[in-house]
Amino acid sequence: MTSFIDYLIGGVSNGAVIALMAIALVLIWRATRVVNFAQVGQAMFTTFVALTVQTVTGSWVLALAVAMVAGAILGVIVQFLVLRPMRRADTSGAIIATFGVLIALQAAVGMIWGGDAQAYPQPFDNAGIVAFGRIWPISVYDLVVIGVTILLVVALSLLFTRTSIGLAMRASAFNPEVARLSGVRVSRVLTFGWALAGVVGAVAGVLVAPSSTVSPTTFDILLVFAFTAAVIGGLDSLVGAVALGVFAGLVISLVSGLSNSGNAPVVALILLALSLITKPDGVFGHHKARAV
Amino acid sequence: MRYVLPLTDPVLATRSICVTLSGLRILDDVSIGIPEGTVTGLIGPNGAGKTTVFNVISGFVKPDSGEIRVDGRKLKHIHPHRLTELGIARTLQGVGLFPSLTALENVMLGGSSRVKSGIIAQALAMPWTDTEQADLRERALAIMTELGVESDAGRMPGELPYPIQKRVALARALVSDPKILLLDEPAGGISAGDMADLARLIMSWVPKRTVLLVEHHMELVMEVCDLIWVLDAGKVISAGTPEVVRQDPAVLAAYLGQEGAA
Amino acid sequence: MTSLLRFPGGRLVGHAAFVIIIWFLIMRLNDSVDPLANYYIALVAMYATAMFGMVILVGLSGQVSLGNGALMAVGGYVFAVTSLHWQTVPILGVPWNGWWSMAFAAVGGIVVGLLIGGIAARLRGPYLAGLTLGLAVGVPAIANRFPELLGGESGLMITVPYPDGGYAPVEEEVFVDGTVEGQSGDASSVAVPSAEATVSPDDMLTLDNFPAADASAAAPSVDASVSPDDMLTLDNFPAADASAAAPSVDASSGDLGATDLSGAGDLIDAGFIIERWQAGLAITVACIAAFIALNLVRGRQGRVWRAVRDDSIAAAVSGISPAKAKVSAFAVSSLFAALAGAVFAQILSYVGPGAFGLGLSLSLLVGVVLGGRSSLLGAVIGGLLLVWLPEFVLSLAERGGWEDQITNNAPNLIYGLLVVLVVLLAPGGIVGSVQLLISKVTRRAPKGV
Repeated sequence: MTSFIDYLIGGVSNGAVIALMAIALVLIWRATRVVNFAQVGQAMFTTFVALTVQTVTGSWVLALAVAMVAGAILGVIVQFLVLRPMRRADTSGAIIATFGVLIALQAAVGMIWGGDAQAYPQPFDNAGIVAFGRIWPISVYDLVVIGVTILLVVALSLLFTRTSIGLAMRASAFNPEVARLSGVRVSRVLTFGWALAGVVGAVAGVLVAPSSTVSPTTFDILLVFAFTAAVIGGLDSLVGAVALGVFAGLVISLVSGLSNSGNAPVVALILLALSLITKPDGVFGHHKARAV
Repeated sequence: MRYVLPLTDPVLATRSICVTLSGLRILDDVSIGIPEGTVTGLIGPNGAGKTTVFNVISGFVKPDSGEIRVDGRKLKHIHPHRLTELGIARTLQGVGLFPSLTALENVMLGGSSRVKSGIIAQALAMPWTDTEQADLRERALAIMTELGVESDAGRMPGELPYPIQKRVALARALVSDPKILLLDEPAGGISAGDMADLARLIMSWVPKRTVLLVEHHMELVMEVCDLIWVLDAGKVISAGTPEVVRQDPAVLAAYLGQEGAA
Repeated sequence: MTSLLRFPGGRLVGHAAFVIIIWFLIMRLNDSVDPLANYYIALVAMYATAMFGMVILVGLSGQVSLGNGALMAVGGYVFAVTSLHWQTVPILGVPWNGWWSMAFAAVGGIVVGLLIGGIAARLRGPYLAGLTLGLAVGVPAIANRFPELLGGESGLMITVPYPDGGYAPVEEEVFVDGTVEGQSGDASSVAVPSAEATVSPDDMLTLDNFPAADASAAAPSVDASVSPDDMLTLDNFPAADASAAAPSVDASSGDLGATDLSGAGDLIDAGFIIERWQAGLAITVACIAAFIALNLVRGRQGRVWRAVRDDSIAAAVSGISPAKAKVSAFAVSSLFAALAGAVFAQILSYVGPGAFGLGLSLSLLVGVVLGGRSSLLGAVIGGLLLVWLPEFVLSLAERGGWEDQITNNAPNLIYGLLVVLVVLLAPGGIVGSVQLLISKVTRRAPKGV
């Protein structure tokens, strides 16, 4: 029983990272109706940028900041590449383009930083916190991860509810035509959404990196988990992405802890398939009647 | 064609259909009947629910309550793709042709319910699949000739003028040799001259086929319809011959109300 | 020509004749080249088989799938497990041979394809892509769940083909002979591990110490040793590594003949070149797949798939069941994937989670997009590209003295950029662009793709 609870607690920081990556997917889906499968490639790239900065300067905060800027820039570039097939209403093409970007980014990472798995220096204490007479399965580092995630989620919700750009983003996602008529510069707003998603993904990458090694393809599995969380959450719902992201983290932590970490992808696949069978539009999504 | 209201044995009928979509009542207790061998019109101002009636009949929208009857038999679980097997074909608003297939291929696909051979026979290119397709091709060409579009058989829809595209779409609906034809705004976007042709065409199908027509162009409706049902805000507000409907104050009010609002 | 095909049976005869001529020509070519070229031919044919399915699934029915590598795994594993465990065919009781395993791989592919297709038919674009992404990552992981049956992370070595070049075991005792193992271990290009070898942990050959991989002089297998999942290009494939060092493979086949003549390898027939046999198998399977694909694509079914992709509502109104059409596309494509997987298993003489990872699925997508999403010819061209480009890059790298880090990743970088460019500028891929060019020159509108 203790171990069960331990795994649950340990899963929270895992879940926080998955939630962030899921948020990045949801942000872009809401803006452009594309699932950006290149998101983990972008995150991997920015994480290696962060690794370089941290190795040179030794500052974790600076590394995170640089990664966020790089993430925003990459996001804008990728949007530019995906928009054109979208305008042609070639949805298959848009999806394929994101995979093309993913392949290219992973190769670029391999070219610049090598294909080997590298350790990302642990910026905080990663040992279980000792309190109340026992060692808890959560470290200072886990708390930082959870804290940054909460901060980011709060910042995003404030952005969406309290600022004009947030309102413009919601309007553009909901009805681009109406938004355009009411003076919103929709294309700029969409680009901002892609940049924002790039930032969120970059944070997720830097946060998750110290808990494993980093190599060009380390994040592939994160993509599957984040996509699963985003889809079960309904792809349109930030709340759903956060809730299901954390939930996915807990499940993965439990499965990995109680059986074998190699089972996690299978569990993600089962979760994904089940959710898509029972509710193809997600738990938090609204089913829209198709126009005939 | 003669009919007497209330209809005794309509070939197609809806009984007390109610549809609610995202909290909005789109259809409210709609009961209409289409007498066999007539051209029946379904009209009403924008948003009255005409196309929704089509969508309920063709299985795209599931009604909250009510039923559809064909030849007096109640239909359970309507699948859109099984409709042609029941002898019902419909056209879509606009054109709805497959852009990557030629006009002829489009029309041939309309006869899908006649194709009996399965995917294994197709995969092995069994000779009878060729015979089947050759027959279908002949039928399709015959119908296209009837509609005057046979010369465009090999062209892609994107290369054809809009009225021709609509003709091809009509041919695709006809190739299954339907007993009942549901036409969703067949005159949308075509010229007055083409409209006169269309009227002649529609009238040439009855009484062999029964036609249900949703249309905005009142001249066409008044010219070809034997019976007209009028919907407003999801309710049937009037029914009868063109003359009766034209003089019904409720119909006038519904259309004027919309004009006033617009 | 087209009108001839319209007579009853015309397509059957026409397509069969076409495929048989192609088969004959490529088999002749296969017999006249060296084992390294045989190996390349085998890979191209294997990719083409899988990508015929991608053309049907992604191009014609419009369902972007990343799961076809996982479906290849189904075929590969069914082949490996049945060929390792069966002496006779269950129920029928007849003696087992490799064709039975191929048949079961095909059936397994169709069954799994129907299952996944049943879910996928309800899903729109990104949901489907995500589900199949989950498959690509999740299915190979299943092998880890059942280490005893499926060999876990290190995979299974398979015994087919038998050293005499056949699909059926010749003499029973031959395969329990301990000396055979030792011999075959030395002859790097011939995989003749006995059934025991796959069970014993010492002989259990992982990707990294796959015999052929050791033969590699260039050894650009840095990635492969880190994570087997990221094998997108052939460079990272163990066997491909070997082929990169062309002379070593040639030499080993030469050795083979020599050993045989000297009487040491009494199991190995002098005339038998395993690469040639593997290529012959791959070509034959690809031609069978091409025949089926041609019949479907150039017939009513092809129109049905395109109709559903173009406008599923209009398709339904025409009497086509969109769900059924999508499921059938999935089933056919996973049949082809499973056949390709079974062939791949025999080319590698090995199945393992690393060989069928996300990288394989992605490379299928790359190949089919570059070749031409909606064209069977595009699948063949895509297969050629997937095999040729890494070798081309390697030759450039050798000439330019590139670092391994650059060389290993250059093909993927090129693939990724090309995919983006093709989607942006020439959605029809190579074949589509050529068709467009021809139609512009002849001032005819392009035929629908």
